[in-house]
Amino acid sequence: MDAALARYLTQLARMGEQLKQTSKQIEDSVVGVCDSFQGIASRAQATVTRATGFLGNGGQSTSDRQSFEGLIEACSGTLVKILNTTIEAGDVSRRAIERIEEMDKASQQISEALRQLDQITNSNRMLAFNARIEAAHAGTAGTGFAVVAVELAAATVKSRSVTAHVGELALNLRSLAHSTLQDLRNMNEKDAERVGQCRLEVDESLRDLQAAHSEMAAMLNGMTADGALLATDIGGAVRGLQFQDRISQRIAHVVSDLDTLCTRLKMHAGPVARGAAAADEGFSAYTMQEEREVAGLGEAEASAGDVELF
Amino acid sequence: MKKVLIVDDSVSMRQMVGFTLREGGFEVIEAEHGQDALDKLQAAVVDLVITDLNMPVMDGITLIQNLRKQPAMKTKPILMLTTEGLAGKKEQGKAAGATGWIVKPFDPEKLLQTVAKVLP
Repeated sequence: MDAALARYLTQLARMGEQLKQTSKQIEDSVVGVCDSFQGIASRAQATVTRATGFLGNGGQSTSDRQSFEGLIEACSGTLVKILNTTIEAGDVSRRAIERIEEMDKASQQISEALRQLDQITNSNRMLAFNARIEAAHAGTAGTGFAVVAVELAAATVKSRSVTAHVGELALNLRSLAHSTLQDLRNMNEKDAERVGQCRLEVDESLRDLQAAHSEMAAMLNGMTADGALLATDIGGAVRGLQFQDRISQRIAHVVSDLDTLCTRLKMHAGPVARGAAAADEGFSAYTMQEEREVAGLGEAEASAGDVELF
Repeated sequence: MKKVLIVDDSVSMRQMVGFTLREGGFEVIEAEHGQDALDKLQAAVVDLVITDLNMPVMDGITLIQNLRKQPAMKTKPILMLTTEGLAGKKEQGKAAGATGWIVKPFDPEKLLQTVAKVLP
């Protein structure tokens, strides 16, 4: 009888040890899972924070240059500056055209003045010719007058030559002005076309960037919503994992009961009454409703998750 | 950032409560049992204590009784977080000076709501 009891006692002690080990293994696993949750939550939060910073959502980015919103703004600003510079260049070109047109008008006036000068020169030539005839009629008395007439005729020739040269220069100037005007007008028209095209392309690019930004912002909102769902899921998992704490406690109580049983058996406390007392000692340590129900110790108490503030 | 001391002999429970509170924006200190909590509180000031009931070395009720004797902890909230739900035990906790009683397993969201409610 004693030998059999000794064997059972050993088995009981081993069972207790196994239960403790099992409890420890479950706890280690749960701690590992909790660590993973912490990692998942931290990484999810970091990802959302980085994405928020990149998009410059709500102006929360520390530097506009690093944010997507800041990049769009910077690109938009640069493109507008380029467009404005091109438009200013077009204005300068138009003003140049107006001035060359004014110069052309001045050249026309010069040509008109030269034509009038030419008429005067012709009149002077006729005057000199008539003066020479009159001087010949006057004979010796007209000799001096003849000299003046000859000089006047020579001056008239020189004047015509100079007028012709200036006329030629004015003509060249007008021709040059016309070709320059034509080039400038062509360039201006092309510039206007290019500016119009650039404006369209810039507007389209900015629209694309804005659309990309909106899409990314929507994705970010999705990520944030997913993060909230993740937090809820983790919360549910944390609640679920607490089974380990309850199981550990129950195992601890079972182990304690086994120990008590072993002690009692060792003492060879034969009487049934002493055995019952030992069982009651074990039950008194039970802290969970389920344990008390198993032991048949029903009593009003709060359920899991209940909160009561005093 | 508000500081919370979690007292529980179960590493996993400390992890779960700690995780929940950290996610809720709290700083967390952990202690394994009542005596460990008293030792840690000599070097730290906390805004709230959440303690288990049944622990080795010093249980939750004794811890609360000790804490309420300290001027710094006289009015600070102390919550019990335990599997124990018996009315008699709760009365003991209340008499010792506990601010509230939460029965495990706790709901993380509900825990944060309760913490927000008891913190000044």
